[in-house]
Amino acid sequence: MALSLTVNGQQHTLDIEPDTPLLWVLRDELGLKGTKFGCGAGLCGACTVHVDGQPARSCSTPVELVVGAKIITIEGLAKEGELHPLQQAWIKEGVPQCGYCQSGQIMTAAHLLANNASPSRDDIVAAMTGNLCRCGTYARIVSAVESVVNGVGHYDPVQEGA
Amino acid sequence: MSMNRRDFMKVTTGASGSLVLALSIPGCASVKTGYEPETGEWKPDIWLELTRNDEIIFTLARVEMGQGTYTGLTTLIAEELDVDPARITVKFAPVAPEYRNPLFGLQLTGGSTSVASSWKPLRVAGASARQMLVMAAARIWQVPVADCATQDGRVVHPNGIDSLRYGQLVELADKEVIRGDVPLKPRSEWKYIGRQSGRLDAEAKVTGKAGYGIDVELPGMVYAVMTRSPRYGGEATGFNRDEVLALPGVLDVFLTEHGVAVIADRYWRARKAQNALKIDWDFSDALTTSTEQVFEGYRQAANDDPGEQERSDGDIEEAIKSAGRVVEAEYEQPYLDHATMEPMNATAWYHDGGMEVWAPTQAPDLGRIAAARNSDLSPDDVTVHTTFLGGGFGRRLTQDYIEEAAAVAYKVKQPVKLIWSREEDVRHGLWRPAMLHKMTASLEGNELTGWDHQIVGPQILDWYVRNAAPAQYPWAPKFLYNTLGRVGLMVEGLATPKDISAIEGAIGYPYQVPNVSVRHTHTDPGVPITWWRSVGYSHNGFAVETFMDELAHEAGEDPLQFRRKLLDSEPRHRAVLDRAAQLADWTTPVADGRARGIALFKSFGTYVAQVVEAGIEHGEIRVYKVTCSVDCGQVVNPRIVEDQISGGILFGLTAALFGEITFKNGEVQQSNFHDYRLLQMHQVPEVVVDIVESDVEPTGVGEPGVPPVIPALGNALFALTGKRQRALPLTAG
Repeated sequence: MALSLTVNGQQHTLDIEPDTPLLWVLRDELGLKGTKFGCGAGLCGACTVHVDGQPARSCSTPVELVVGAKIITIEGLAKEGELHPLQQAWIKEGVPQCGYCQSGQIMTAAHLLANNASPSRDDIVAAMTGNLCRCGTYARIVSAVESVVNGVGHYDPVQEGA
Repeated sequence: MSMNRRDFMKVTTGASGSLVLALSIPGCASVKTGYEPETGEWKPDIWLELTRNDEIIFTLARVEMGQGTYTGLTTLIAEELDVDPARITVKFAPVAPEYRNPLFGLQLTGGSTSVASSWKPLRVAGASARQMLVMAAARIWQVPVADCATQDGRVVHPNGIDSLRYGQLVELADKEVIRGDVPLKPRSEWKYIGRQSGRLDAEAKVTGKAGYGIDVELPGMVYAVMTRSPRYGGEATGFNRDEVLALPGVLDVFLTEHGVAVIADRYWRARKAQNALKIDWDFSDALTTSTEQVFEGYRQAANDDPGEQERSDGDIEEAIKSAGRVVEAEYEQPYLDHATMEPMNATAWYHDGGMEVWAPTQAPDLGRIAAARNSDLSPDDVTVHTTFLGGGFGRRLTQDYIEEAAAVAYKVKQPVKLIWSREEDVRHGLWRPAMLHKMTASLEGNELTGWDHQIVGPQILDWYVRNAAPAQYPWAPKFLYNTLGRVGLMVEGLATPKDISAIEGAIGYPYQVPNVSVRHTHTDPGVPITWWRSVGYSHNGFAVETFMDELAHEAGEDPLQFRRKLLDSEPRHRAVLDRAAQLADWTTPVADGRARGIALFKSFGTYVAQVVEAGIEHGEIRVYKVTCSVDCGQVVNPRIVEDQISGGILFGLTAALFGEITFKNGEVQQSNFHDYRLLQMHQVPEVVVDIVESDVEPTGVGEPGVPPVIPALGNALFALTGKRQRALPLTAG
């Protein structure tokens, strides 16, 4: 069945079963390997992408549900060669250890900032607590988000990426 | 050597100025001597490669799984080479004997050994390459070597003005020979060691570009999923092949030694087809145990067998017999899963008489053995490409996922990627062993006079030796592998290092007590086990430091002072203990509803003391703050040390609060993150890491943060509630 998807501003038409999770479409059909498989059940957040500006667990989102939606992945976050302020903050803070969960962490944080330009620490924790990190980088994630809060202004992933 | 000193003289005396020389160098050698560099690259040693274009490539032989080798080891070589580490291109090492970890005789990353084992060799390698570059420049300029300096990838002339890029010197440096030892930079001249704080792999990891095992993509690649026996040791005897083969995208369904493999053109199609599999299992050799039986078995073994005496000071029997007071306690610790964020996976391709394997593995030479075992190949025909690892924690030291991928690739003869689901990853793990500890102590007044520690449980080498022994003897024919495994066990402690995985951290009991006995009752319930971040220290730390706390209370003493007075001959232990206590305001009262606990534990050569402040809120344990003091000798990258220690603390807290794999009739009862929980952001305490400044040789930091936090939290809960918890995970009520 042919499905049409818009990912990082590019339209794709794919022949794929409609119940295939978006995660595997992004990774194996479109070659966007930055979005990670962690649990397959929406429990860890490693597969987080934006669907029409909302964070979604791509491992548990059948691709048929996002036809016509604007999808942004970690690969679509940088703009005109310049990394997203959160990506820059992640580098400056040295957040990643193994790094496997970080695409999902950054996508969740980007959604938070898109909707709340100056979140408090409690806001950050509440938004991010569904994203697991086995290495224990949580404190650096909070610092990295806080370092951006006063510098980035409003960021709208739908407008910017699509 | 094709270029002698006189040839150099011709080159160098023919030119009048350094600028001309610098420009003429790349061609001059071949013109004057006939020396033709093959590629314009110079490989001064097994680690480094320098090109004419000033590219510097470092071969990293310790895998990057989050612990920071990519940055830390590159920093060591960069420091002595005198270049910014960020300028160095890092590539992952192939399998070769010269890349083995000298501490194990295997090419593996574990045991918190990467910096410690590389500290000298990598600096010597960097210094030697730099020295040869300087010698080459000095020869050109006809100035004394000692008068030349280096600065960020250049050799600087004694006049302080002229300089040559390393890239201009590589061909000449190749001809230089160093006699004697190369001096290493004195500490005062370090630019990067102890100062550098960024991570060289950060950008790749925040843009989605870092390549993990699961990201490997090959032309014509297909996907495999494996259905394993729900109980360890079970065997598939039949399955509905035709039915599954008819499903969309399914290319093959077949039996392997590991279970039933489904091959499909897409991962999701393989998964869906797997759901349609109906398999007949033969469970006659399968695990039947339940968790309660494991501990019953341990108790029985402890009574039947006093165990191997692993340490004996003074006369423990006499001390206990004549003691004013005898205190006993028994601690139970569960099986634990690694739960790496990247599930187990590997990609393999059997072609042209060999096999290529791409895998996130902690032990690529064992991966080679694993692939050889599951094909008709010898290890020499197997190439292992190591990727970034999405966490390791010891899980990826065992190569079961490579065995499976190799078995499948051998059959399908095209590139195949095998990915475990999270449920498979949790249920088919190899675990930190469940352990029982029986402790007995004698007290005279408030003096601790005797300490008897009986450790009951399996040892890991029994499970690991199957692949490790052949990897150490790669010349051995494959039919000898099982024999080598058994011989490896027989000669353990003689020809091979003694397996201390059950007793480490217990035999090193640091407190000055006249009568000390440590025993290991070796008993194995048949549940697969492997190394888990901090290994034996993880369970011995809980037993030793909880019992010390119990004894302090029995003696009517403050837990800090009770430990302190027994550490007169252990200054580094005492220093971290004092620092952690002071930083945590140990002597000042804590807020209402909270309490503090303390623990001190040395592992992997590193001294760690921690104070945990905790309480109970809404029926749940709440950890507010962990204050940690750590002495790991010389620090290479302060930020990474802090991250490894604090990461270890959260890893330990996860175990203390939630960690438990349980069995019922041989089946694992957990399956995913809802019932094998990890610490989440809202549960993370404030963590303070204080690093002792030191110039002694560096020791490990990847694991030592884990052990003390578990007893420190338990001790805090005792201080809060007056109720002692002797089994993990800890509970709120």
